[in-house]
Amino acid sequence: MTTTRGDGSNLGGARARPDVAGPGGRREEAAAGGAVGGWVTTLRRRSTRRYIGWAIVVAVPSLMLRLWAVDALGVNSDEAVYAGQAASLARDPAFLPFFPVFRAHPLLFQSLLSLEYRAFGVTTLGGRLLAVAFGMGTVWLTYAIGARLYGRRVGTLAALLVGVMPYTVVVSRQILLDTPMAFFAALALYLLIRYVQTDRATWLYASAVALGLSTLTKETAILLAGGIYAFFALTRKTRLRLGQAALAVAVLVLTVLPYPISLKLAGHTSTGGAFLTWQLLRRPNHTWWFYLQAVPPALGLGVVAVAVVGIVLMRRVLTWSEHLLLAWITVPCLFFEVWAVKGFQYLLPIAVPVAVLAAMVVVSVPLPQVRWRVAARTVTTAGLRAAVAVLLVASLAVTSWNRVQPDSGGSSFLAGTGGVPGGREAGEWIDANLPVGAELLALGPSMANILQFYGGHKVRALSVSPNPLYRNPVYEPVINPDLQIRQGNVQYLVWDSFSAGRSSFFSRRLLSFAERYHGRVVHQEFITATTDEGPVREPVITIYEVRS
Amino acid sequence: MRRRLAAAVGALALAIGPGAVAAPAAAAPPAPPDSAQDLPTATPIKHFLVLMQENHSFDNYFGTYPGADGIPKGTCMPVDPVHEPASDCVRPYHLEEQAITDMGHNSDVFDAEYDGGKMDGFVSVFADQPTVGTRAMGHYDDRDLPFYWNVADNYVLFDRLFTSAATGSVNNHFFWTTAQAGNPDADRLLPGGFDHLTTIFDRLQKAGVSWKFYVQNYRPNVNFRTATTGIAEASAQLVWVPLLSFNRFLDDPALNSRIVDMSEYYKDAAAGTLPAVSFMVPFGASEHPPGSIEAGERFVRSLVSALMTSPSWDSSAFMWTYDDWGGWYDHVAPPKVDRFGYGFRSPALLVSPYARKGHVDHTTLDFTSELKFIENNWGVEPLASRDRAANDITSAFDFSAGPREPVLLGRSRVPPEPADTPAATVYASYGVAVSLLVPFLLAPLRSSASRLRRKGVRS
Repeated sequence: MTTTRGDGSNLGGARARPDVAGPGGRREEAAAGGAVGGWVTTLRRRSTRRYIGWAIVVAVPSLMLRLWAVDALGVNSDEAVYAGQAASLARDPAFLPFFPVFRAHPLLFQSLLSLEYRAFGVTTLGGRLLAVAFGMGTVWLTYAIGARLYGRRVGTLAALLVGVMPYTVVVSRQILLDTPMAFFAALALYLLIRYVQTDRATWLYASAVALGLSTLTKETAILLAGGIYAFFALTRKTRLRLGQAALAVAVLVLTVLPYPISLKLAGHTSTGGAFLTWQLLRRPNHTWWFYLQAVPPALGLGVVAVAVVGIVLMRRVLTWSEHLLLAWITVPCLFFEVWAVKGFQYLLPIAVPVAVLAAMVVVSVPLPQVRWRVAARTVTTAGLRAAVAVLLVASLAVTSWNRVQPDSGGSSFLAGTGGVPGGREAGEWIDANLPVGAELLALGPSMANILQFYGGHKVRALSVSPNPLYRNPVYEPVINPDLQIRQGNVQYLVWDSFSAGRSSFFSRRLLSFAERYHGRVVHQEFITATTDEGPVREPVITIYEVRS
Repeated sequence: MRRRLAAAVGALALAIGPGAVAAPAAAAPPAPPDSAQDLPTATPIKHFLVLMQENHSFDNYFGTYPGADGIPKGTCMPVDPVHEPASDCVRPYHLEEQAITDMGHNSDVFDAEYDGGKMDGFVSVFADQPTVGTRAMGHYDDRDLPFYWNVADNYVLFDRLFTSAATGSVNNHFFWTTAQAGNPDADRLLPGGFDHLTTIFDRLQKAGVSWKFYVQNYRPNVNFRTATTGIAEASAQLVWVPLLSFNRFLDDPALNSRIVDMSEYYKDAAAGTLPAVSFMVPFGASEHPPGSIEAGERFVRSLVSALMTSPSWDSSAFMWTYDDWGGWYDHVAPPKVDRFGYGFRSPALLVSPYARKGHVDHTTLDFTSELKFIENNWGVEPLASRDRAANDITSAFDFSAGPREPVLLGRSRVPPEPADTPAATVYASYGVAVSLLVPFLLAPLRSSASRLRRKGVRS
């Protein structure tokens, strides 16, 4: 049986093509050309044109899926917090009272966003465009990783998969930390590959900086250091010298230092500690099956299946490249599976290695050469590979396209998957209609964040526990809400179906307050739900005015 | 506009429970026509609301308010002003949470405290009352009255509003509604009622100007005819609602229907159907010692908040005063305008979208100044010489500016802590981290480039 690899390379590690890094691998010539004439020559070259063509093939659907109706839905709770922090950093007085800069996570993304806000003002679109930029950067890095490990075809297919993958598309359309975190993680992976391929320690240190920046974006990225450790512990490809390892760790620590330093300088050391304590002690928010149920469909079941089947088939001939990618995937998966707190977007950094593995399998997994005649056409192995690639890309793109439609994005209440229906509209109504100084009591902190972001009024949450062990320390509990309403400190109650679905107890309690304190409905937001009897408008947010 | 929308929705939805609201806000029927809005007025004020609380002097509430005519430095009230005026004295002091009692506040107490204009009898008058002691010299400040002080900071505080009569509640309430002392002989209700007097409500009714008298915990069966039945707690309602001592206001449905429970105020405010003129009196939250001043403050706050969230806010003015000084110290000797008054100063505050911000108004006023404003604004005749001669409250307004957006004021005097935004620290520390990437990326890139160049030269 004859086997082939997508790039014609042989097995046993030679899949890696360390010197392929740009159009046609002729970077040195382009560099030597120097002047404009050199660029013109380069552009006229067929390989360059092909490179640009493929770049367009990847970039256009990726961009389109990320930008389509990107601001059609209002921000969700996490987006409100991060955008609010950035707005506070930009010293926007409308957000300063409601969004303290130091809340939970590090502030790299918020700092970058705040610079944008300083220049162009606070808009949710601006925040989402910055996230999209990081998402597109991740697509490019996926190409670079795939191309460096397995050649340009794998790189291109992997980039296309990441570009249209529902997981990356949905998350990168939101003002979340995960997309920039995944970008820096992908950069760290790319630089690490350069180190392994060249054995030059400076790449390792650069990778440490990138991992540090990823950690500065969201602290969970530090888990990937475990993946790196696992890789070096298992691989025979390269030996990591102790001095280099120590220096890399020092560089990583140096890069991450701004987080504790800025907390210390700003006198908020307890903020980070309290948040960590709460994370360690809080109750699980999802079942053990959550990731299995939520993430593979978002990655693309076909993509996951191809990657798994390919890895199983190649289990005896796996190289350091697959070892590295698998380590990059396994460690965060294992950690978050065990960790009580689960979130849809937490595993985003695995999207890149999964896509690269799947692309590698499609393009270059050893397959028997076939030449079948089907309906007067010849089906070859290459043709089959192309068909699988098209199928994978198309299935992901169609799923993503459906997910980015405004009417579907708002129907899911899973954190990280989209906006909250009516949240923006209710917040804007509050901003336009309620007097300055009015205080509101919402069911839960998620809706409270959204309403504070759009509404410019203090919104507290009924479900925030007075017990510090059971609440996010950044949220202020409402001690004796009955008394707060009776004393006139809270003038409005906000019921929402999103929070009510999570806690019927607090929903009932809030409605009892509305009844007890002369609750008068002053505003409602609706969605149209499809029932057996046709479309029905259902209230998703109701605002009551109350008085004692 | 904000309040029109609120009115539309408010009129629609009184239902409880999110599912109980059958129709969207857009389908709400229009709010009932606001007749007060259509009446011609001399000012942009289409809704004037006045509330009469109980028994505090200006210095008792605002004696230490910056910029107001408060307690003079060095004040020390002689314990025995007649025999030993210089020997022992009591300085004004913060009452903190001391229990207070209902001190005497009739014309005899006034005369003793006034002492012919020497204003030195505030301690000696209670010398034989150990439960009172020196309490009259106690005062409150923003620690005790945060909402009122916040109102003063944002709207108007009057520091020369004198109670109309140098006596207690009855005559002052009659001055408030008729511009005359109800009973010239004593501060008591007349058993036969007061049908001989003309009230501001008669004037308004005749002129077709809408009005209501809102009464907290209103008991419709309590009036001057039933007072003899001995409902002790109801006597306050009788004193504080002078209309209940008029046969015509009891018998004429067109008039009687306008005396309503305070709960109607909240409905009217929410629906945008407030009348042109609203008089209000408390029942349990009057601040009358020994009652809780905090409860009174919460009550007033809820009234003001309801107005601020009402569609009528843009054309409203809400003023509240205290019917008498309650025996408390006040340092300003009241002018003598006739045989009844003035009495000592009372706290008075005005909230309106046209009120000057943080303004302390020094115009000399009494309760009939409110009547004067009503008369001037809606073009009705004065009731008596007192309101004819009174200053009105126009100086507290700035009608040249557009209506201000409402600000719901809290019961906290501590200004919200400015959010801590150490932007420079964050930018510097994170900037250093990002800049680390540059040398660590440049170094390997440069070495790769030079290696490629060397390869190029060799080939």
